[in-house]
Parts: sequence; structure tokens; C-alpha cells
Amino acid sequence: MTSTTPIPAAKAEVFLQLEGIHKRYAGVHALRGVDLTIEAGEIYHLLGENGCGKSTLIKIISGAHPPSEGRIIINGQPHAALTPLQSLALGIETVYQDLSLLPNMSVAENVALSEQLVAGNGRLARRFDRRAVDATAARALAAVGLPSDPHFLSTRADELPIATRQLLAIARAVATSAKMVIMDEPTTSLTQKEVDNLVSVIEGLRAQGVAVLFVSHKLDECYAIGGQAIVFRDGAKVVQGPIANFTKAELTHAMTGKQLDGGRYRSSRAHADGDSALLRVQGLGRRGYFSGVDLSLHKGEILGITGLLDSGRNELALALAGVQGADSGSIFLDGKEITLRNPGDAIAQRIGYVPEDRLSEGLFLDKSIRENIITTVLNTLRSRFGALDANRAQALAEATVKDLQIATPDVDRPVQSLSGGNQQRVLIGRWLAIHPRVLILHGPTVGVDVGSKDIIYRIIQRLAEDGLAVVLVSDDLPELLQNCDRILMMRKGQIANTFDAEGLAEETLYRALISDSKVAA
Amino acid sequence: MNTSTLKNSAVTLTANDLGAPKITLRQRLARHPQLFTLALIIAVCLVVGAINPEFFQLAMVFDIVRASTVLGLFALGVMIVLAAGGIDVSFAAIAALTMYGITKLVMTQFPETSMVVILVAGAVGGTLLGVLNGLLVDWLKAPSLIVTIGTQYLYRGILLTFIGTVFFMNVPHSMDAFGKLAVWRHDTATGVHAVLPATVLVLVAAAGLTWWLLNRTLMGRAVYAIGGSLPIAERLGYKLRTVHLFVFGYAGFLAGLAGIVHVSSTRLANPFDLVGMELDVIAAVILGGARITGGSGSVSGTLLGVLLVTLINNVLILAGVPSTWQKVIVGTFIVLAGAVFASKRSS
Repeated sequence: MTSTTPIPAAKAEVFLQLEGIHKRYAGVHALRGVDLTIEAGEIYHLLGENGCGKSTLIKIISGAHPPSEGRIIINGQPHAALTPLQSLALGIETVYQDLSLLPNMSVAENVALSEQLVAGNGRLARRFDRRAVDATAARALAAVGLPSDPHFLSTRADELPIATRQLLAIARAVATSAKMVIMDEPTTSLTQKEVDNLVSVIEGLRAQGVAVLFVSHKLDECYAIGGQAIVFRDGAKVVQGPIANFTKAELTHAMTGKQLDGGRYRSSRAHADGDSALLRVQGLGRRGYFSGVDLSLHKGEILGITGLLDSGRNELALALAGVQGADSGSIFLDGKEITLRNPGDAIAQRIGYVPEDRLSEGLFLDKSIRENIITTVLNTLRSRFGALDANRAQALAEATVKDLQIATPDVDRPVQSLSGGNQQRVLIGRWLAIHPRVLILHGPTVGVDVGSKDIIYRIIQRLAEDGLAVVLVSDDLPELLQNCDRILMMRKGQIANTFDAEGLAEETLYRALISDSKVAA
Repeated sequence: MNTSTLKNSAVTLTANDLGAPKITLRQRLARHPQLFTLALIIAVCLVVGAINPEFFQLAMVFDIVRASTVLGLFALGVMIVLAAGGIDVSFAAIAALTMYGITKLVMTQFPETSMVVILVAGAVGGTLLGVLNGLLVDWLKAPSLIVTIGTQYLYRGILLTFIGTVFFMNVPHSMDAFGKLAVWRHDTATGVHAVLPATVLVLVAAAGLTWWLLNRTLMGRAVYAIGGSLPIAERLGYKLRTVHLFVFGYAGFLAGLAGIVHVSSTRLANPFDLVGMELDVIAAVILGGARITGGSGSVSGTLLGVLLVTLINNVLILAGVPSTWQKVIVGTFIVLAGAVFASKRSS
């Protein structure tokens, strides 16, 4: 990498250029003539809806797929295509959403093995120098603020929390002296504090001349980080320029081709009609996670629950859904005390739970949309002989697809063929099939593009208007402000604040989120 | 911003904040599964020894080592394939084909061939058959279980159809001599001969080589990387074909050696031998702590697993346990190991 001929001094050093890149998969024209210039020491935000060609672009730069047409010019050298190893050797580090960490290998190996592999040009018949790996890893880990003691170096990657793994992936970029780091939705599973930390580490890389390309759906974060916005739509670049020059509405418009404002979806306060709560929780607790939680939820109300990752918000949601039962306190539904020890109990009480990680906890990806929708109500779809009544199953699935505007030609397609937003709607549809009284939505728009977000929010509002009580657990503050009646802020396992969402400033909510003690609402 | 602010900007975390806090017994076992294997071995020894004190003597130790050799060579090969996320069930067929083919060739054509040449021939023959497994797995992108079930029939069919079905009661001089060669001989006062056979050296050398390959070469790291996650390893630039050819070739290499060692120590070349050992070998590897899902496995654990299976198959007789019960005990241990090694990660 260091032996490349120096580039003639220019104002800004161009690291990578794409010229007329086309990519065609069987029948799909995923990229339509993309030209792109990436300069050293600059931050880029690659924006666009799911399916706009962002992922394809990243795969071409990282060498996972060859382009069908066009050239990739790196440090002045043109390439028709790259292999993963070439891309790494040229200094491009791609951090996919799964972080590309090997779960069974140590921290040191995950950080520094790539460097040895690249140094040997991929040859495996080489001596493995454990001490060199440890030394490189220790240096890189220190640069991103992680410990570098032998115990940490030998810890297996899958034993670490997600935020640490994220930093580990960046440490690998440091270890390989990357010139360009591509990060695919790096902040999706992180709390605000962890995001802040990640951003400052990235800013440090940038200051050292590394180009950083973010892929994110969180526009607020992109503004906070700053740099260039690159917007893709339908396989082509539609906008590029400093992100500060665009308003949110302009960017959203560029992404979707539609006008979407960031305004509040919630219009009415439906629960004012009755004073008896549908769901009442008293002194609910689960040892080590949360305690003494009191809350009430009315028909037609949307209650937001937020807090940092360790605040107990996730565990509270899981307890209300019966996934991880509480061990103290009581839950009343319609005035009657109920026990929720497993998801079956919750389904029997018609409490639906849409989990946070739809890929691993919710959907059967290789099964059809129909099969995914009917799983919660198989019992009610029995025909006279105890077999599945195929006609009713089909009717239910088709009605759900129509109702939730799921974009698919038929319900026999596997769920994995859908975009993230549509997958999420399948999951919501599954729970609507039980005709829930209470619906708990856990991060319903994580990894979902803006257009789909809009549809999902409208669905949530409509459900509430139909009298459903909705609990929305999320760390996306604008989402909570746009959709909820009230927002509960959890901290250290307890409800620290209750906010009325109407007219609440995001800043107030954010300050409460990161503060260590109660703030006045 | 410069490097120092980069450092300061990040939160100061210690290893303890970041997971891996207190290590429970279960986690310790998950990290060092061979501890469990060792405990089982000690338990078996104590029980058998308590019932029959004859057990604690040098001749017995040597017998067990002798009985472990072929199983151990196979197990090291299976372990390295498992570590890379695959599985090989054709090793016994590879061993049978090479051992019988080479013995027949030497007996009928070159009766004076030296032991070194025979060992090398076995190793080369086994490697070629193993590499064929690797090529098929790589070309067909098929699960290695299916590919090696196929080649197992193929290799065995070739052996019985084209090479022969009659077993040799006499083996070449050099093999005969190698089988009888003792590294160490000890005669006890009671007149029992304790003999440590030289064939054991093949296992010792193979274990050393395997350890070195896995822990001191990039190839070894690549084996674990691919076993950990094939798509991620591919993205990181590991060449899957090279690793596939290596692991299957290496398993074939060890199987070829095992075949020659088997003929030398039994002084008999029977084309129907060895096949049928597959599950014993895989049981030993699993008891040694390798996960069937790939990405783990160690030489020390595998050798302990081999020792455990050999012990159960050979010494329970001494404790008065009927031989049919050996299967029950091996089965129980495997289920137990499955339960202990399964470290369920909290979400």
C-alpha cells in the first residue's frame, strides 16, 4: 500500500473514483451508470431507500461482486473489478452490518489477522506470528479506546457486546492502515452514548486522512456527523453535496421521489374517552434488570418506552410480552390479574409482540409470506379434519398483505425476497392476526428506509384509532415524538420520567436520555 | 483532531466492563472442553482400577496407547475438517484403499520396499484421495457430509472391484518388522512384557504436525476462520478452495498413514477392515470438545477423546462390564458432553 507512486499534489486527494459503473443481476439492473469520487479525509453518507443500489455499490467497492460495466480507479490505478483481498490490500475496509467478525476467534485475531493475510497476499502457507498479531491488535485497540490487555486480546469475539464489536471492526481498519472505511448502518444496534463514542472514533480516523462512507437510515445522525450526502434512487446517484446544504425534507424527497415531512403522525388523544386503563402494571420487576415499574395503558393509546440499552427497557418489553417473565409485581388486563410466563400466555391474552430483531427473533426468512403470517393463529385455521384450512390461510394472508400495503405480487414469495420495511410489515401482520388488544412494538423501524417508515407509522396510528393499545419501545427519539401520546424514560431499571409527547422538544427528551438523574419534564 | 484526542474521545473501558467478567464453570468448560474429557478419563480409570487393581500397570498403559494409534490418526484428520466447518466420513475407506492397494503392490511387485517408502506411498495415496474430496466439495458447493458419503462408497467400491477382496495373511517384511519394532521394552518381575510399539511414533509426529499447522501457520487460522463463518471468511479474503483442499487433503494424508500403521501392527491386510470405525472416530473427536458446527477443536482435546473411547472399548472388560455395555457408556458420555459443551449464550 505504501509503495504506490505518489499522486501529484492536488487540493483534495482523490482516493477512489467510479466511472460508469453498471451492475446487472439476473434480470435486475441494480446500478445504472454510477460515477462517484471519494476523497481522502472526507465523510460521506450514502442515503437511499432499501433496494436503491446502495448495497450493490458497497459490494462492488469491497470486491464481493464484479461490476458488469465501468471502471474502479483507486490511487490513479484503474481496475475492471476487485477481489475482496485486492480491495483490502488497497486499503478499503468494509464493515458490513454483521461486522464481518469471526465469532469463534479472539479479539486479537479478529483485529490483526487481516493485516497478516494481506501482507502475504492471501497466501496461507505462511507462519502465523501470534506475537506480531497481539502487538498490532493492542496498538489498534488502543487507538479506538478499547483495552489491550492479554485477557481482552484472548476474549472470543462472540462474548462481547455489540457496541464493543463495532469498535473492534474499526480497530481492524486501523490495524490494516485502511484508507477508506465503509460502514453499513453502524449505529443500528447502538445507544446514543455508544453512537457518540463511535462517531468520535470515526472523526479521529477522518482527521488522519481516512475516507469514511456511512450507510444509514438515521438522517439526524448524518447531520450531526456532517460531511457529504450522496443520495441514490433506482440504481443511480441523484444528489451529491455537503449534507448541511440540504434540508431533511429535500433529502427525503431525493430518496423517495415523494414529499414526506418529519411532522407528528399522532393527531388525536384517543384514550381520553375512558378513565379505566386496559393494561395496568404494578410494581413489576425482574431481578437484575428492572424493578418497581408502574404503568397504565388505555385503549387507543400509544405509549412510548425508551432509555439506554442497559436501562431495562428491553427487558420490560420482554416481560410484558411474556418472553422473559417478570418475577415480582402484577399485571392487570381489563381489571383482571394475569400472569405472563411465556409467549403463549401473552397470545392467549391477545397481547402481541413484534420483536426488535426481526431477522433472528421474528421471521422465518425462507418461508413464504403466508406461512409467516399464519403462525400465530394456526389453531384457528383448522379444518374439520384437523388439517390446515388452506383457503382461509390464503384469505388471511392476502387480506393482511393488502391491509398493510406489503409490496409483493403474491403471498407465496419467501419473506427474504422482501425489503426490510416490507418484512417488518409481515411481522406486524402476523400479530394483527390474533386480533390483539395490546400490541408491543420493539424498534419497529430499525433498518427500515424512510418511505417504509412512513407507511409503518401510518399503520400504527390507524391501529390505535381502531382502539388497539400500543406500546412502542424504541431508541429512535423522533419516532417516539412523532407517534406517541406519552413517553416513559427508563433509567437504571426504573421509570425516571414520564413525558407528554405532544409539544415535547427532542432536545428535552435527549437530555433526559443521557442524564444520570431525573430532569424536570 | 489528532491521535491523542482520538484516544481520549473514546470511553475508557476495562476488560471487565466489556463482557468476560466472572467466568463460570460452564464458560470455562466451553473454552477448555478438554477439561471435561480429562475428568471423564480419570473417572473411568479410578472406577476400573478400584474394581480391578490389575489395571494400574505399565503393560496396560502401553496396550491402550497401541490401540489408540489408528483411531488417533483418523481423529486428528476428522478434527481439522470439523474445525473448518465440514465433515469427512470417507477417511476409513481412504485408509482401506491405500493400505490394501499398497500392500498388494509391494507383496506382488516390490517385496523388498523399505518402510519409509511404504509410509510415504500411503501418505501420498491418502492425500490424493482426500484432495479429490476437497475438489468435489469446492466444485459442487455441496455439503461435505454428502460428498464424503458418496466418495466413501466410491473408494470402497474401487477397492473391492478392482484391487481385491482376498486378504493377505503375510505382509511385506519391512511392514512386519515395523509392527514388531519396540521403542521401549520393559519386563516386570511377574514376567509381563510391556512393549511400547514404534507405530506410536507416527501418531506422536502427526499430533505435533497437526498442532503446528493449526497454531503456527496462517493456514491453521484460516481453518478456524472458515469454520467460524464461511461467508465472513470469504469476505475477509480467505481463499476457500485452498482451505478446502488442504483440510480434506490433510485428513486423507493422515488416513493413508493410519492404513499403513494398521497393516503393520496387525500384520494382516484385510480389505474389509477399518470401514465401520467412522462413528467411533467422530465420537472421539466430539468427546474431545470439537463442535459439530465447526470453528473449534484442538489437538490435545482430540487425543484425550481418543484415549477416552479407547479406554471404554478396551478396559471395561477388566472391570467386569460386558462388552455390549461399552456402546451404552460411549453413548451416555456423548450425550453428557453435548449437554456440557453447549454453552447457551444469553441474549
